[in-house]
Amino acid sequence: MSTSQAVYAGWMEIPNSAVTGKDRQFADEEALAALVTQYASTLYRVAFSVLRNSADAEDAVQEAFLRVLRHRDNLDEVRDQRVWLIRIVWNIVLDRKRRARTRPETDDVAELARVLPSNGLSAEQVAAAAQHHARVLACVEQLPLKERRVLQLSAFEELSSVEIASILGITESSVRSRLFRARNLMAGMLNHARSLR
Amino acid sequence: MNSTAQNPFPREIEPGSAEETLRLIASLPAPEGLEDRLRAGLSSRPRPGRVLAWPISLRLGGNWMRATAAAAIVFVVAGGGWGVYSHVQQGQSAKVIVLPPRTQAPGGFSSAGAMRTPRTLSGPVLKQPAEAQPSQAKPFKKKPAQAVRSIRRSPAAAGKAAGLPALPLAK
Repeated sequence: MSTSQAVYAGWMEIPNSAVTGKDRQFADEEALAALVTQYASTLYRVAFSVLRNSADAEDAVQEAFLRVLRHRDNLDEVRDQRVWLIRIVWNIVLDRKRRARTRPETDDVAELARVLPSNGLSAEQVAAAAQHHARVLACVEQLPLKERRVLQLSAFEELSSVEIASILGITESSVRSRLFRARNLMAGMLNHARSLR
Repeated sequence: MNSTAQNPFPREIEPGSAEETLRLIASLPAPEGLEDRLRAGLSSRPRPGRVLAWPISLRLGGNWMRATAAAAIVFVVAGGGWGVYSHVQQGQSAKVIVLPPRTQAPGGFSSAGAMRTPRTLSGPVLKQPAEAQPSQAKPFKKKPAQAVRSIRRSPAAAGKAAGLPALPLAK
């Protein structure tokens, strides 16, 4: 009995298109699960480097994958999925950072003390390290926005300057010049902070 | 990153320590079970709304029925649009303003803003009698003021005198 005859007979009400749609949906979910397995850790680190809060970073990654799910039809057209995903999560965390209030340095100290690897150090040493890093991060926050973004992304060793340029939507030469400027500004600020002590 | 890992609490902030701190943060491992939580969150996401499927009886001959329904919708929309358009066109064509006829106020007064007022006559105009022969009749030499005066004193006499060549006036 052919499909049309079965439909006429009334015992088969599922058209072929529905079966194809379910197959496709299953394939999409499989592809998305593969993306989660492959890039979840990277995306989390990118999100945490800006938000500096574990729960917020995890939410941002979740939102990024939900956006991917919404645009799953265009997934085959993406050339570099890693850079594409980082760009999505980068935009999400910048948006959240813009809307959120300024984080006090004490929050950073507490969060860093929680997440920093102890490596057999005492609690006091871990707290001192967290305080030091929080001070540095406070200085980073005083950088101009463009320079700060490049500096933050350059900390990811797996990202080349071309990929950073692609994520930020600028040229590679702009990335280099901004990074140079950010380093100079940072050095000046840290020297000034050291001279005040 | 390695220097920070070996000495995570430098006493002074050095110029290169900013990048070391950023690298340290960038290299922090993801929390345990992150992927499982993400997968669970994605699988429990709200499903998008589905379009109601056609009934089985309509699905069999769905193509021509859909085409008919689409044509009917287009026809109704186009007809409604044309109706509104034509109605608006008729309403806009009436641009002639009809003014009410001007009536002169009784008692000899007229409105101050009158655009055109007919010239009033100083008195009734005497007509020539129809039966009078122009050759027999003598020329009427009476002044119009005198004729008016005679008409006012005696309208009947004035009527009779209208055709007479000579009429003795009141002494």
